[in-house]
Amino acid sequence: MMIQPDSGGADASAASLEVDGVVVDFQGLRAIEDVSLTLRPGEILGLIGPNGAGKTTLINVLTGFQAVTQGSVRLGGVDIAGWKPHERSRRGLVRTFQSVLPFAGLTALENVEAGGVAIGLVRGEARAEAVRILSEMGLAHAANRKAGTLPFGEERRVGIARAIAMRPRFLLMDEPAAGLNDAECRDLQTIVRGICVSLSCGVLFIEHRMSMVFELCHRIQVLQLGRTLALGPTDAIRADPKVRKAYLGEDEVSPC
Amino acid sequence: MVENSLFRPLQTALVLILALIAVALCASIAPPALQRTVIEALIKLTVVVGLFIFVGQSGVFSFGHVAFMAIGGYMSAILTLAPARKATLLDLPGAIEALQLPWPLALVAVIVAVGVLATVVGWPFCRLRGIALPMATFALLIITYVVASNWQQVTGGRQALVGLPRYVGLWTAFGGAALAILVAAGYAMTRHALMLRCSRESEVAAAATGIDVERERLIAFVLSAMVVAAGGVLFSHFIGTITASTFYLDLTFVTLTMLVVGGMRSLTGACAGVALVSLVSELLRSVERGVAIGDVTIAAPPGLQEIVLAALLLAILVLRPAGLLGDAEIGWPSFRRAAPATATRQQG
Ligand SMILES: Nc1ncnc2c1ncn2[C@@H]1O[C@H](COP(=O)(O)OP(=O)(O)OP(=O)(O)O)[C@@H](O)[C@H]1O
Ligand SMILES: [Mg+2]
Repeated sequence: MMIQPDSGGADASAASLEVDGVVVDFQGLRAIEDVSLTLRPGEILGLIGPNGAGKTTLINVLTGFQAVTQGSVRLGGVDIAGWKPHERSRRGLVRTFQSVLPFAGLTALENVEAGGVAIGLVRGEARAEAVRILSEMGLAHAANRKAGTLPFGEERRVGIARAIAMRPRFLLMDEPAAGLNDAECRDLQTIVRGICVSLSCGVLFIEHRMSMVFELCHRIQVLQLGRTLALGPTDAIRADPKVRKAYLGEDEVSPC
Repeated sequence: MVENSLFRPLQTALVLILALIAVALCASIAPPALQRTVIEALIKLTVVVGLFIFVGQSGVFSFGHVAFMAIGGYMSAILTLAPARKATLLDLPGAIEALQLPWPLALVAVIVAVGVLATVVGWPFCRLRGIALPMATFALLIITYVVASNWQQVTGGRQALVGLPRYVGLWTAFGGAALAILVAAGYAMTRHALMLRCSRESEVAAAATGIDVERERLIAFVLSAMVVAAGGVLFSHFIGTITASTFYLDLTFVTLTMLVVGGMRSLTGACAGVALVSLVSELLRSVERGVAIGDVTIAAPPGLQEIVLAALLLAILVLRPAGLLGDAEIGWPSFRRAAPATATRQQG
């Protein structure tokens, strides 16, 4: 059920999320050095790289939590440098967090409802939508429990449900599978494919487990020390000797 | 069931108001001294509920809301005092000196004016991050106090303004408290309150969820300032006089203690805090006055009240940081709750 994304064309690029020549400096440390990235609607782009490669920083740049030293971020051709985080997410540039950051003291239902309310739905609508999303994700039983009390895997799914409720055009997922068991990983893959198809949403997928990235992503971009090491279709990256040497090592595939 | 729960705050409000009616009915047949204590507690309830609107949902402390009580009280005094009295006590522009409004009109005018003022003040405040916002509210309290105690022409300076129409009795105070509770519950049901509660849990996640934290804070700040100002108006017209020092650190401490002790994330908690702290204060006050045992009268040293309240606050902060009620709310007794919960579990 792998859906191939729109392949290029002026039309597709106009609706894309583009990062162009971005540099990010933290006092003295250059975390990102001239990285460009394009995420098209309907595609799943894997972003991989060792710890400290700059993956999270790049998401922070895209979502407005981190200012760039140089370079630009464009959404559908429009430079969004001046947009604050809440303006970006409201307009469909939505992220999840490596550390989930649920609204811990609120119920799972309220967490997801908040996403709908923030994009302008009235509470009744947002709540109905939240109920639907939660039950689709197998979280109906957790709806009235506080998000902070949920088991880790469910908490992660609440984080994703909250993002889905915002009807993202682009969803940036920062290690959504970290800490999940095998069954939960498979569920996650189904969910991500579902989002990608049903919302024709572009997904940026950060993950360390190669097997999952290879199965799920249409294209893969490899970061290393803040630079793009390689970029291409999944099969090409999988075969790229440079990538194998620098990042994957010899026995790259760990079971998911 | 899920749909229903959107109206839960309203249920809570109705139960709380029923409880208040019971208290007010008891007070109406109580001796005058006790009745006055109840009236004062009801007015403080208005203030604490107002404070809860902002602090409870935003998780940001405000040390400055009592300033809005002062502003409300003085505005209402100026609008309702007899022109002749204003001429002797103050030095106001002619038109304002001549103006004397009926109290309900003055009350509405004050609430609207404070709403505008709180918007102007809150605009820059709500842009502040971390501890800066509570500190700014504290600065507001100090500034208001200093201005009120020195602006001879408008507030009478350190001298008390006397002769305010004393229209606040038991049922007016009850009405104020009940309205405040309804406003707080009504606000809690809005999407704005939900978004503000999200920012309380995590500012970063709220921004990533499309929530304009500054704007939501400002909305709650203004609404809560208006309710607190109404409390200030009622307080002034209950006492019949107004002085700057009434609305300063002591009152700030007492109202914040009430909110924290009861549970600042809960409307029920805010009410419980007012009830408990008022009760303890009243007991201690009578001990301070002296208790006759046989021929000897034992009087506690003055200041006992403050010390015990501070100790109570400390104990709560250490033992139950979320307050007595945490974020629990009172509601209708629910018989159906258990059944649907298991039903949904089976679906999932
Ligand atoms: N706020 C910050 N201040 C200073 N340095 C930072 C900051 N955020 C990130 N860095 C540094 O920038 C580099 C990139 O970090 P980043 O979190 O983007 O890596 P990552 O690829 O997400 O790693 P991981 O796989 O561990 O999540 C690291 O060297 C990190 O220490
Ligand atoms: Mg990271």
